[in-house]
Amino acid sequence: MVRERIIRAEPRENLMLGILRDPAPNILIVDDRKENLLATEKVLRNLKVTIFKANSGNEALSLMLRHKFAAVLLDVQMPEMDGFETAQLMQEHESMHGTPIIFVTAISKEEKYASRAADIGAVDYIFKPINADILRSKVKVYLDLYVQHQQILKLNDILSQSNEELERFAYICSHDMQEPVRMMYSYSELLEQDYAQVLDESGSKYLRFIAGNARHMQKMISDILTFSRIGREAPALETVKCDEIIAEILSEFETTIAAKKARVIVESLPVLRTSNTLMRVLFQNLIGNGLKFQDGSRSPEITIGAEESNDVWLFTVRDNGIGIDPSFKEKVFSIFQRFYRQEEFPGTGIGLSTCKKFLEIYGGTIWFKSVPGQGSCFYFSVPQKP
Amino acid sequence: MKVLLVEDNEGDIELTKIAFKKAGVACEMAVAHNGEEAVDYLLGKGKFQSVSARPDFILLDLNMPRMGGKEFLEVVKHDQGLKTIPVIMLTSSKAPAEIMECYRRHANFYILKPSGLEALIEMAKRLESFWVNLAQLPEELPAA
Repeated sequence: MVRERIIRAEPRENLMLGILRDPAPNILIVDDRKENLLATEKVLRNLKVTIFKANSGNEALSLMLRHKFAAVLLDVQMPEMDGFETAQLMQEHESMHGTPIIFVTAISKEEKYASRAADIGAVDYIFKPINADILRSKVKVYLDLYVQHQQILKLNDILSQSNEELERFAYICSHDMQEPVRMMYSYSELLEQDYAQVLDESGSKYLRFIAGNARHMQKMISDILTFSRIGREAPALETVKCDEIIAEILSEFETTIAAKKARVIVESLPVLRTSNTLMRVLFQNLIGNGLKFQDGSRSPEITIGAEESNDVWLFTVRDNGIGIDPSFKEKVFSIFQRFYRQEEFPGTGIGLSTCKKFLEIYGGTIWFKSVPGQGSCFYFSVPQKP
Repeated sequence: MKVLLVEDNEGDIELTKIAFKKAGVACEMAVAHNGEEAVDYLLGKGKFQSVSARPDFILLDLNMPRMGGKEFLEVVKHDQGLKTIPVIMLTSSKAPAEIMECYRRHANFYILKPSGLEALIEMAKRLESFWVNLAQLPEELPAA
């Protein structure tokens, strides 16, 4: 069962506190002379940092393989491997790349050294004898940057994790609810068939309510599943024949069309590169809505058309239904928005939000114009690669 | 017609039996609650010692405790005597990966559980007309 995959929720506050409770960031000082290391350490002592010391480029690299540093203070003149070489190697290594390097040197104040240092990824340059205040304030800038960066990374992690959890939760909920609802609906059907004669009028009415609501819940769950599946699979382009899709959908609506004496006018529709499921979802919902939102004062008439301009196909689905009240305008494409009672116009409030979400994955947009009492016209664009 | 229904949910078992009856399909339906029981039934082992019979086809659910549908297919489709019995998956999983996996393990047919009693009755009628009236089923192999 999918249920096993359900979330292990950690209290969110603890995660937030975790960010603040992080241990002091690490600073690495690299110098071949012990007295220099001690002097620098002394300057940085009252910053909230953990100080690591290395006597050579090699030792620095091996420390960097094991720890993450907010910044490295790197002596330029060292035997064997000098500061430039060491920095070069750091920049080439994936896990060390991007660590701010501050060169510390006594040898020359010439520009060319500074620019060579910048070429290999040094962010700053300090000259000996070290001015304690300058060193401390420079290091502090990189510490602050580092801490902020870590916080952003963690917050991003928490956000994307919580988004994923929510999506998975919606999916699992609706997926696992299908079974019990199917059972409720089937057994209420069975009661209606086999026990109608032993129920009085009220009993039959209650049973109809149970069956009707179970049916409605089935539809909702299946709509929520469709909605939450969008985006779980990567968009793929295929050749889509709109005529064929419309023909299929019209045959699905055959009974309704006949019962309402509806007229569906299909203008010339293109063959294009997009997703079959996408076009199906769009036409199904828009035609379905056009047939549904009618007040019965006239026969429904729906016109479907398309035209191409600038690598975009623009589709229109126009109806002569009850129209959309201007005060609903903002909410039409939001999920679970319903403007009528179930008894007036049945529905789940998921259809148009599914259309919008799905279409946006393929770079399209959807909008409408409507005159209440006269009808609505929905427009949607489907981009084509030139 | 003889059918073996492998299904763990009592509600589904009852519904399927009623649907076949209401469909007017003359059928003896044996029930196993998971893959293990189904194998025992087919081999006449354990509590099925005296009631075992070769079904014309098997209706198989996917998710069941102990031994699920896919594991059951693995056993039955590797058994010389049993592998010729058609196995029809009857499950609520629409996942393309699940469907593919069942056919890969030599399931003969895959049906989504119908969403109400009427639809289930319709399914029972169609199963009879296809697997009994239209399809030629294999005879039982003589015991080795």
